[in-house]
Amino acid sequence: MTRRQRQKIIRAILIILVAVFFIFPIIMIFLTSIKTRVDALAVPPVWIFKPTLENYMGIFQLYDFSQYFLNSTIAAIASTVVAVVLGAPAAYVLARYNFRAKSNLAFWILSLRMTPAIAAIIPLFILLRTFRLLDTLEGLILVYSTFNLPFMIWMMRGFFEDLPIELEESAMVDGCSRYGAFLRIALVLASPGLAAAAIFTFLFTWNEFLFALILTGTRARTMPVAVQLFMRETGIDWGHMCAAAVVMMIPMLVFTMFIQKYLVRGLTLGAIKG
Amino acid sequence: MVPGVRAQPTLSTLSSKFDRSAPWVLLGPAVVLLVFLTVFPFIYSLWLSFNEWNLADRTATWTFVGLKNYITILTNDPFFTSAVKATFIFLAGAVTFEMILGVAIALLLSREFRGQGLVRPIVMLPLMTTPVAVGLIWRFMYNPDRGMVNYLLSLIGITGPDWLGRPQTAMPAVIFADIWEWTPFVALIVLAALQALPSEPYEAALIDGASSWQVFRYITVPLILPALLVAFLIRLMDAFKTFDLIYVLTLGGPGVTTQTMSLYTYKYGFKFFKMGYASALAYIMVFIMIVVANVFIFVTRREKR
Repeated sequence: MTRRQRQKIIRAILIILVAVFFIFPIIMIFLTSIKTRVDALAVPPVWIFKPTLENYMGIFQLYDFSQYFLNSTIAAIASTVVAVVLGAPAAYVLARYNFRAKSNLAFWILSLRMTPAIAAIIPLFILLRTFRLLDTLEGLILVYSTFNLPFMIWMMRGFFEDLPIELEESAMVDGCSRYGAFLRIALVLASPGLAAAAIFTFLFTWNEFLFALILTGTRARTMPVAVQLFMRETGIDWGHMCAAAVVMMIPMLVFTMFIQKYLVRGLTLGAIKG
Repeated sequence: MVPGVRAQPTLSTLSSKFDRSAPWVLLGPAVVLLVFLTVFPFIYSLWLSFNEWNLADRTATWTFVGLKNYITILTNDPFFTSAVKATFIFLAGAVTFEMILGVAIALLLSREFRGQGLVRPIVMLPLMTTPVAVGLIWRFMYNPDRGMVNYLLSLIGITGPDWLGRPQTAMPAVIFADIWEWTPFVALIVLAALQALPSEPYEAALIDGASSWQVFRYITVPLILPALLVAFLIRLMDAFKTFDLIYVLTLGGPGVTTQTMSLYTYKYGFKFFKMGYASALAYIMVFIMIVVANVFIFVTRREKR
């Protein structure tokens, strides 16, 4: 065997090991979610078993899971809408205009994204309490915009800056207003980026835990908070817990394909245009 | 940087007053909302950090104490010291390994191979999974009697300990779970950088007969250094903020071995409801973040030229 062939084989083995390492826990969760209680707790673990949907049915019937699922969905969609409607225009201004306070404003917006949630939560908790918005979806959505908006603005600014300015300029020469240039040209051209940023926002909000933990009680509870409650009650209900975890992972699995192209950009706040 | 268009459109024949309103109308609502949600509450909580207020006590009001909270935290609070220590251990362990493994995996995946369309999404999975779910998954895996970790160890004859229950193993277990979740982050960033590299230096090096190690050290590393820095700084900041994972895995235990600053602040604010003290803790965290964030801004803005 030549050296090259040996290297290729080693490479292949390592790649397989890496892939297995990352996917194994997820597969475990999925498998456990379709096992019966007996199978799920069996030691050593059973690999060949009769699959069942009882865990999935159980979380919706025995617990209020459908309520939590709905809450998560509404919160995520509404937060995304707020972020897009308020954030995209704001990003456009930052991209296309120069004014004195601009870099300070931009820095301030970015710093909001970087604030530790635990630091932000204390005053926000008191704020919501004052306005009687605790344990409401409206309050939660409002509070989520503190980090969704900065993220959206920062991402869209990069996308708008990437667009050649000539198109908007020539449109305005032809009599288009600034609003028109924004709506009909910039927004349309940046729509793939906008879609990606919207998906990121949706996923961040869907996965969000700390704010939901503190700011909701039983009515506006979202799924991440609900899922960890499975553990606190008497003993850990592995089957149900895994089913809940799988349900929580669905959007991520659906959207992963779509945002692959923009993943690096989204994760690094645009610092690296993957 | 792409130059901005001046606020006055140069050749528009439309009512310029209408157009002049554009920046205000487009940027205004976002700024107003953010100011309302951040500036006022932050000033409020800064003031709160100079007071004592027990939220759980219905009759309690604010008691001004000046810098007492900060002084107590920094000089007289053994749990704060242990929290700083725990945070530091977590950061050092997690970020170091994530960087090293991330670069290694990126190098592994950088050359074309069969099935790469499948491997990339797989590597992305831990990143996209809800952090709470990651915590649950690993809590499951670490279960001493039924978890996969101990089962796999038993296959090679080792009896695994109660990972999350013993003080010596809890933090390493938490760090390992974090590594599982975030190494792909570093790997993907470095991979993107690697794939954007020009080929000329490599061709020249090949002609000059450089060894793989020399190529790596003198060509690859300098070229991906910006990406490495971005990955490092972001991981540093995010690891500092980590809450979900540790909360679900150990809640700071056993004892306080995994109680990082995040969890400590949470405890003071929402278990003890000592809002003044918790606010002070939070501000100390914010201060640390500001320092690191400034470094991040400086580094990335410099590269954007």
